[in-house]
Amino acid sequence: MFFPKEMSEVELIIPAKDIVEVAKVLSNQGVFHQIDSTYLGLENLGPSAWQEKAGNYSTLERRIQSMMQTLGIAEEYPAKASADNMVELETLTPGVNRIEEEVKGISDQLSNLKKRLEMFESQLRQLEPIANVDVEVGALKNSSYMHSILGILPAANISRLKTSIGRVPHVFFILREDAQKPVVWVLGPKSNSDVLDRAAKSAYLSPLSLPDEFSGTPEQITTTLRREIDATKKKIVDLETNILKLADKHKTELQQLLWDTHVSRVMADAIVRFGQLRHTYVVVGWVPSKEVDGFAKKVKNVSKEVLIETTKIEYKNSPSNVPVALQNPGFLGGFEALVNTYSRPRYEEIDPTILIAITFPLLYGAMYGDVGHGLVLALIGLFLSRRTTLGGLLVACGISGMIFGFLFGSIFGDEHTLPHHPFFGKFFWLSPIHDVLEILQIAIAAGIVLLILSHLLNLYNAARSGNWGRFFFDSNGLAGLFLYFSFLVLLGGIGANLFTGESFLPHFLLDLGKNPLLSSIAPILFVIGLLLATIFSHPLQHWMHDGHFVVEGGWGMFAVQSAAEVLEKIISMLSNTLSYVRVGAFAIVHAGFTGAVFVIAKLMGEEGSFAYLAVVVLGNLFVIGLEGFIVTIQTMRLHYYEFFSKFFLGGGANFEPLALAKVKEN
Amino acid sequence: MAGGVSGYAAISTRVRAMKADLLSPQEMARLSESPDFASLVAGLKNTPYGKYLSGLKESDLTPRRVVFAIKNKLSDSFNSVVGQAPNETRSLVKQLYRYYEVGNLKAVLRSIQTVSTWKTDISSWERVREVLFPFGSFATIPAQAMVESGNVGGAVELLKGTPYEATMSFAMKRFSAEQNLFPLEVAIDLDYWRALWAATKRLSGKDQEVAVKIIGSLLDMNNLMWVIRYKVYHKLSEEELINYTLPFGYRVKDDDVRAIATGADIASVISKIYPGIQDVNALLEDPQTGLPKLEQQLKRQVIKTCLAAFVGDPFHIGIPLAYLLLSDFEVQDLIVLIEAKSTNIAEEEYMPLLLKTNLVQ
Repeated sequence: MFFPKEMSEVELIIPAKDIVEVAKVLSNQGVFHQIDSTYLGLENLGPSAWQEKAGNYSTLERRIQSMMQTLGIAEEYPAKASADNMVELETLTPGVNRIEEEVKGISDQLSNLKKRLEMFESQLRQLEPIANVDVEVGALKNSSYMHSILGILPAANISRLKTSIGRVPHVFFILREDAQKPVVWVLGPKSNSDVLDRAAKSAYLSPLSLPDEFSGTPEQITTTLRREIDATKKKIVDLETNILKLADKHKTELQQLLWDTHVSRVMADAIVRFGQLRHTYVVVGWVPSKEVDGFAKKVKNVSKEVLIETTKIEYKNSPSNVPVALQNPGFLGGFEALVNTYSRPRYEEIDPTILIAITFPLLYGAMYGDVGHGLVLALIGLFLSRRTTLGGLLVACGISGMIFGFLFGSIFGDEHTLPHHPFFGKFFWLSPIHDVLEILQIAIAAGIVLLILSHLLNLYNAARSGNWGRFFFDSNGLAGLFLYFSFLVLLGGIGANLFTGESFLPHFLLDLGKNPLLSSIAPILFVIGLLLATIFSHPLQHWMHDGHFVVEGGWGMFAVQSAAEVLEKIISMLSNTLSYVRVGAFAIVHAGFTGAVFVIAKLMGEEGSFAYLAVVVLGNLFVIGLEGFIVTIQTMRLHYYEFFSKFFLGGGANFEPLALAKVKEN
Repeated sequence: MAGGVSGYAAISTRVRAMKADLLSPQEMARLSESPDFASLVAGLKNTPYGKYLSGLKESDLTPRRVVFAIKNKLSDSFNSVVGQAPNETRSLVKQLYRYYEVGNLKAVLRSIQTVSTWKTDISSWERVREVLFPFGSFATIPAQAMVESGNVGGAVELLKGTPYEATMSFAMKRFSAEQNLFPLEVAIDLDYWRALWAATKRLSGKDQEVAVKIIGSLLDMNNLMWVIRYKVYHKLSEEELINYTLPFGYRVKDDDVRAIATGADIASVISKIYPGIQDVNALLEDPQTGLPKLEQQLKRQVIKTCLAAFVGDPFHIGIPLAYLLLSDFEVQDLIVLIEAKSTNIAEEEYMPLLLKTNLVQ
């Protein structure tokens, strides 16, 4: 759960005779992430016959899909579909040809009729804008002094067309407004016909193709066209009935053909990416190490002579292209989605899903501490959990909100009932609105713990990947951790001097600052920390990596960059630490909001009256929605900015095993 | 998802992390000092592009394949930003991403026109595939089927149901009459940039303000280069120039485009818009070499606008957009380097074409 699945690189040498059987196993198990290994093959063998085969299967699959579409059959596989074997093209093609011939005759007729109908309808539409013009259609084309262009053009081009003919006299009519294809009429002197024509052409104006086969005024032609349209529609209905009958007749056979072709195409596609040698094929890919034995056994079952070489990939110094398969239980799906939104973990990295499954609800609940509000949130989560993985996340946050609700003694904003209840009163801890400084202190203390944890996780990730430069000298590495410790002592010291009474800084921090030994060592550690984890961090990491102490961009640039980085580091340590104060602040805001609801309710009516209850219910709903949203954003921010950025690099590749049907991750 | 701090908390963090993966000018300068193509590829393997090159065998490291591999990083960046952009800005990011599909569409159409002249055993699709942008699941055009259709008409038929259908239906009438891809390509471009500008204008508040600057700067560059190229190379008439350009942008106004179309001095129009660009007259004296240099200078204006987006309030769409454009310019630089190193072009010829190193100077 803490790490991506360990992967093994698998290399198979397969005798040519077993290639189909092995491809079937590879495609059917859902554990093999294939790498294109054609480059391992012999180039002088020329293009593989499988390439052509895969192309032919693909074409055949498209033909079947196209037929199913024509017949209105859903592109589904047979109910009892199984990947028995690759079916030869010669077996599949006659069936496809036979049905296609039958379907094609009718579908061609239908398509021609539809085109004809479309043409009539288009001609009808084109005549509509000039329906009231009482002239022979032919007369528009043959004027002696005027040049006339009647046509349709993209609506977006109208204003540009008008601009482009601005320098010549013209009139411009939009005969029919249309979002896509408006009809326009441009008229100008015959002497400017070249300008008008060039402008119309460059504006993509398509002159109307007024029907030549019909003569008369637009009104007369319209009547004839309508008659033709009715007759064509009737023929189309008849043909569509025939197509329905054909669909019934061929549905089962087409679905079986589609499945067989699909299976064969997937296998052929996989084989295309095999490296071809003289009498064998080389296949390379990734398999989760735990699955390797089962995988190898299944491959051996179908090919006795196959050679399988597996190499477990150590996390240390692992190549960057190892695919990452996370292994979290389904109920953590929402948290995994949160992690993936930031980035997919690298192969060698700790998967922070389980960690944020703890810290996310914890921080969320602390800011949303109310038994009633938490319950509503959990119920919403439960309702959504069947539809989205985020439902589980909401349930966890809701439950956490309920737990903090008991600790804060708050239920739907009422802070009097729970603390005084004989049983629930035992759980009451503190009231955010009354114990303001205490809750802020706890929030900062929790933040310090999380920030130290993030440094430790960075150390672990660095050690696990064998990156010792990062381990020692990264700004969040060992030197960075010491720097942060010394910063805390200095912060405590400043706090102790500034605040004589209670303050928002935790007591232990002030005690650290007051400790004479620590406060005398801290400045030295702080300077050393800045030198190692900030100023010389990159050169030292280079030095650990390849033995060269490299200062990029020269010493001048280095000095300027270092000064900026030191300032940024100090500010970020302070802001990161104080950032967690928002957890306490939002707990107070939450209590404040709900308190305000009760104040408004009392202003609206007597306790127990309809107005009072209505305000309490609506106010609570408002707080649940608004606070729920704000707290989500804040919790995400604390994790993404403050927590993840310290240890989580991300950028891992997805594990995408070959499968005939879609395989769910993990 | 809402905009502002809430909408941008996650994406802003992610983009800033991804921006750190962009090559620094120093890294780009080091790569440009590689003595040959092999050393350049070796150098690239030590950068964030290494991950994308690791799947290629040494003997497979042809310039075309390396370019294809490094484009994958850009594709990943777009996919990541599209996935995380707040709802109201996602259509703009998707439309910006579609720029590469527009490029693919044009490449497919060109390949269909020229395929008969190819003398090779490799199938036409195999050859075309490597020059296309790896657009992944966002692709709407059936590129392979289009190439395999073997003719432009058949290929355009396959665009039914895609965002290009309406535009192509108008443009195909001209193609059928002229048998020239020019009207198709112009129509696709105009439609693309109009849609991008419309998506920009649909944003509100700060998002619109920064997006207009960034997308507008890009549009300015295209609009200017179109009108100049069409005038200088294609000798088009005033009305054609107006119809083949767009009346909006950030700095370049419709009056500027129309002024060039009606025959005003190009250099003085450009100098008025960009006082920082000098010697425009000298560049226009020899358009063959001068126009690419002018385009470089306009690209630098876009880069400056992009870099400015990272200053100040980080909770707006400007940061993701600027990052994506900077990534694109970086890939353009790398393609220049790959082509220069693989064909042994002299340093003084390709160095002025690099955007990143020149920006530092």
